[in-house]
Amino acid sequence: MAQDSGGPAALDKWFDRAAPTYRCVVDPTHHISSLFGWVNVPSAAWIDEDGRIVRSAEGAYPAETTYRFGLGKVRLGDGAFARATRDWIERGADSEHVWSAAELAERIRPVDDDTLLAEATFKLALHFEATGDSERARRHFAAAEHLAPDNWNYLRQGWTHKGTAYAHLKVLRRTNHLRKNSDKSYYDPMGLPDENYRRFTEPEWLWTPAARRLKQLLHR
Amino acid sequence: MIIVANGKTNEVSQRTDATDALWVRLDELPGATGWQMKPQGACLGELCVPLPADRRGDWIADADGWVWFCYSEFADHIGQKHVRDGDVWSLGSVPEVRRSGLESAIAPDFEVTERNGDTLRLSDLRGHKVVLFTWSSW
Repeated sequence: MAQDSGGPAALDKWFDRAAPTYRCVVDPTHHISSLFGWVNVPSAAWIDEDGRIVRSAEGAYPAETTYRFGLGKVRLGDGAFARATRDWIERGADSEHVWSAAELAERIRPVDDDTLLAEATFKLALHFEATGDSERARRHFAAAEHLAPDNWNYLRQGWTHKGTAYAHLKVLRRTNHLRKNSDKSYYDPMGLPDENYRRFTEPEWLWTPAARRLKQLLHR
Repeated sequence: MIIVANGKTNEVSQRTDATDALWVRLDELPGATGWQMKPQGACLGELCVPLPADRRGDWIADADGWVWFCYSEFADHIGQKHVRDGDVWSLGSVPEVRRSGLESAIAPDFEVTERNGDTLRLSDLRGHKVVLFTWSSW
């Protein structure tokens, strides 16, 4: 489920490259994340045969993933979520990774008035973005950011309205700030026993391999 | 007037004598907000909210040859946030729907269009395990 106000124009190249064999949808209004209370991508839910959510996770990468980010690249995720998913598919309710309804309620973020107002505000921004009214879109993206500063979906989608480079810079600056000045994380831990949890990822700059090689030479 | 709600955008009629409140014609209410008026009150799926007896006269009115419902007052009553800019209103989630969904752990239903143009409704997948996964290009 591609959650992106850029729609097919921004997404098709990724779909085409992945050549998925599963069902794919585009959700330009972030509707599904609103329903499930997700605040970042990738997020995932397991839904059993009776329609019950039995696990929800953010930072649910299928494997360790490296991708270009601005002038560098970042490393994210590990294989823990994919292993747990396979276990659930094979063993169903007997999987140790299944949550009870009480665990689920405990783990899903509480919703306060600001969160609800931020959602309405963000959707208004998306509407103006879609209709080409950039000035009003920016104003409402900024208001949503102020109301829900921990919602990375709102932040990054709003920043992307001003350009990809600007959005990347903002992510780097904000994650750096949070890393140094708070106990917040970019993703919540998934709570899987073998996950390689990183509170934030350290960007690996393009010149990092050269610097590492130089260090090795100096140590010789 | 435009209403943004439930992942959709709907253009609806505007009451000519409307004040700052959001008035929606009863026949346009379900399409624009998901709610519909029933004898027991305003209903969204299985959730029904009785209209307070002392507000009913204020919230339902005849005008321009149609019956109108003062949705913004109703939204305030149920704690649903709304934001307006010009002739566009955006409605947030209904808190009671989110709360009851959490208690039951039943996945909230949705209907979206697949890349190939088919309609995907989550509830149509009952009987199967579903892994729902989000990503984005940014």
